[in-house]
Amino acid sequence: MSTTTVSTWIDSITVEELEKDPNPIYERLRKEAAPVVFLPAIGLHVATTAEACREIASNSELWYGFISPAGGRTFGHGAILNENGPLHEDLREMVEPSLKPSVVDQYVEDLVRPIARKFLAEFENDGHADLVAQYAEQVSVRSLGDLLGLNSVSSDKLREWFHKLSVSFTNAAMTEDGEFANPEGFTPGDEARAEIRSIVDPLIDNWIVNPDHSMLSHWLHDGMPAGQTRDREYIYPTLYVDLLGAMQEPGHAIASTVAGLWSRPEQFERVIDDPSLIRRAIQESVRWTSPIWSATTRQAQQATTVQGVDLPEGTVVMMSYGSANRDENVYNAPSEYDLDRRPAPHLAFGAGKHGCAGTYFATEVIRIGLEELFEAIPNLERDEDHEIDFWGWGFRGPKELHAKWEV
Amino acid sequence: MGGVIPVAGKFTIEVASVKKSAACGGEQSVLDAFLREDIWVPHSCTQGTCGSCKIKVLGGTVDHRSSPLYTLSQEERDDSVALACQCAPVSDLTVEPINSFACDDRIPRHTLADYAGVIVGLEDIASSVRRLTVKLDAAMAFNPGQYVEITVPGLGVRRQYSISSNASDPSTLAMDVKYTAGGAASEWLFARASVGEEVAITGPYGRFGLHAAQDEEVIMLAGGTGLAPMKSIITSVLAGGLAPKVYLYHGDREVLDLYDFEYFRDLESADGRFVFRPAVSRGVQSDGWEGRIGRVTDLVAEDFASCKGMSALVCGSPGFVDSAAKSLKRRRMAPRLIIREEFTHAVPEPADQLLN
Repeated sequence: MSTTTVSTWIDSITVEELEKDPNPIYERLRKEAAPVVFLPAIGLHVATTAEACREIASNSELWYGFISPAGGRTFGHGAILNENGPLHEDLREMVEPSLKPSVVDQYVEDLVRPIARKFLAEFENDGHADLVAQYAEQVSVRSLGDLLGLNSVSSDKLREWFHKLSVSFTNAAMTEDGEFANPEGFTPGDEARAEIRSIVDPLIDNWIVNPDHSMLSHWLHDGMPAGQTRDREYIYPTLYVDLLGAMQEPGHAIASTVAGLWSRPEQFERVIDDPSLIRRAIQESVRWTSPIWSATTRQAQQATTVQGVDLPEGTVVMMSYGSANRDENVYNAPSEYDLDRRPAPHLAFGAGKHGCAGTYFATEVIRIGLEELFEAIPNLERDEDHEIDFWGWGFRGPKELHAKWEV
Repeated sequence: MGGVIPVAGKFTIEVASVKKSAACGGEQSVLDAFLREDIWVPHSCTQGTCGSCKIKVLGGTVDHRSSPLYTLSQEERDDSVALACQCAPVSDLTVEPINSFACDDRIPRHTLADYAGVIVGLEDIASSVRRLTVKLDAAMAFNPGQYVEITVPGLGVRRQYSISSNASDPSTLAMDVKYTAGGAASEWLFARASVGEEVAITGPYGRFGLHAAQDEEVIMLAGGTGLAPMKSIITSVLAGGLAPKVYLYHGDREVLDLYDFEYFRDLESADGRFVFRPAVSRGVQSDGWEGRIGRVTDLVAEDFASCKGMSALVCGSPGFVDSAAKSLKRRRMAPRLIIREEFTHAVPEPADQLLN
C-alpha cells in the first residue's frame, strides 16, 4: 500500500531541496507520512523514524546490507556495506582488528594528537580560520590516512578524493524510468577512483612482499595462508568506503560539534573550561546533525511489515538516521543542540551487523581534535561575518566554519 | 540487604569501585562520612554549589536535603545522581563518584576529622579583614590550599575558611576572615571572639592547590581574602621548588583592603622566582599608593601577551574567578590548567562586590 498512496507533496520533493536542508522535509514526513515511505526523487523508500530505522537496522537476517544505485556506481559492488553472510563476515574480520576499542586505545593518542597540534600550529597565531578546511577535515584525513598506510598521500589529496567520491555517492536523483538523472555527476568519483588506483596499486605491490603495521597491509595479509594475500579487487570497494565516509565524517562531526556549541554560548564556555564534557558534546552533536544523514540502505529479503507499513520482498529502504535522531517521539526539542539533554541512544553510527565498524576510532579522533583545538585556542569565537552553512542530505555538516580569536 | 537490621539512623555506605565502606548517620552527609574513613571522593566547595562531588547512587536511597536544583537538576535526581556533600542516606547505599578519581590523582589525601581548637591570635590585618589563629589539640595534616570548617561558638552554624598558614605547622592554623555585615561568623569574630576561646574545627576539605612539581610558570590571581590559600601554597611551592616562577596578583578595592603587603614585598626581594603584583581598583594617589590601579583580572592580560604554556591558580568571589579565567583564556592559557576556587557565601553577595 505504501508505494501506491504517496501524496503529491512527497512526489515533488527534489534531491536538491534535500541537500539544502532535509530537516523540515523530514519533520513533515515524520508527522504526515508513514514511517517508511516511498520517495520518488530517488526511487527508493526512506525510513524516517527512530523505531523504523532501529527495527530495520537491527534485523540483519531479514534486512540485508545493500548499496544505493549511486553508491554502487561509485564504489563498485562487493563493498562491506552491501555484502552479507560469510563474505560480509570476512570483510568485517578484515577491518575490525585495528578498530577494536582496546586496540585503538593503544595507538590513537600518539597518532592523532601530534597531527592536531601540527595543523593548529599552522594557523593558531592568525586570529582567524575556516575550521572545516584548515582543521576538521585535515585532522580527520591525516589520522585515518596514516593509520591506513597512506602517509605518502597529502592531506589535500585525501580531502579531494573524499569530496569527489561524496559528490558521486550522493548523486542519487533517478528518473521515473529508473535511470540516473545526472549521469555526468559520476565523473568526479570516476576520476578519484582512477587516481586512487594509480597511487595505491604500487603501495599494495610493496605490502604484498613487505608487510608492515599499516591497516592496509593487515587487510592484505590477516587470516590468509602463508604466502597468500587478499586480492586487491576484493579490497578496493571497501577501501573506497573508507576513503569517503571514514575520511569525511569525523571532520564533519568536529565542525558540527563546534557549530552546535556556538548555538549555546554558555554550554560552549563550559566545554572549553571542562574538557571532560567533550565526549558528551560529541554525542549530542552527532545526534543533532548526523554526519551520515541518509546514506546507507537495506533490502528486504522477503515481504514484511515495518511499523505498520507493508513492504514487498526486495524493497530497498534508505536509512535516514539523521531524521531518526530528530524524532520528536524520542527527543524533546530535537532540532536544538543541547549538551544537557538527558543522554538517549541515537543512531548516528547505525545499528546491527552493518553498524559502523569505526565508531570508537572516529569518536576518539573527534575528541582529541576538539581537545587540542580548545586547549590551543580557548578564546575561540564564531566569526559573525560568515553564515554557518550546513549542507548535504546523504552526508551533512557545515561547508565552512569561520572562527576568530584574539592573538 | 536481607537480614541486616540497621541501627536507627546509622547506615553503611560503600564506594563500589574501591569496595570501601563507612558508617553514616544523623545529620552527617555522605561526603563527610567517606572522608572521615579516608575514602576519597572528589569534591571542592562542600556547599552544594560546585557539583564536583556528584555521585551515582547504584543501590539504596538518599535524602537530597538542601541540594540546590541549579547544581543537581530534577533529571539528575531521577537518574539517581546526588551531591555527596549535601545528601544523607535513608538506607544502606552503594555509590560511585561521577567525576573520575583520576582527575584528583596528584592530590595527597588527608582524613577528615574534628579538632578542638583554642584561639591564640586575633589580628586586624586590613580594613575589614581579621586573621584568626587557632591552636589545635592535634596536628591536622593538610595540603596548602585546603580549607576548614569552623563552628561558630554559641550558634552552631558552620563557615568555611581557607588556611593561610604553612602546612609545615599543622597544629596551628591561620584563617583570614573578611567582615560581612550581618554574617553570623563575622558578628562573632569581629565583636565577641577572644584569645583563649575554644572553637571546634573540622577539616581539611578541598582540592585547590599545586600538588606536584610542574614545568609551567604559575600565575596566581587572588581577589580580597582569596589571598589566604595562596599564601600557604606559595610557601610550599617555593620551598619544594614545584614551579620555576610564581606571579602573584592580589587585588582589592582600596589600599586599606590589601594585606600581607610587606610580607610579599620582602619575599619578592629575597626570592628571584617570586613576583608580586598588587593592585587596587579604586585606589587614589593621595593614599600614598604608588602601585598599580585597576582590576588585577585586567592587568594580567595587559602584562602577558601570551599565557600559553603557563598555569594559574585563581581564588576569589565567583565574579572574580569568572573574569580571571576569561582574561587568562583571552591570553590563550589552556583552561584545564586554570585551577579555580570560589568563595561560597552564607549570605547573598551584594552585586557591587562581585569584582574585587
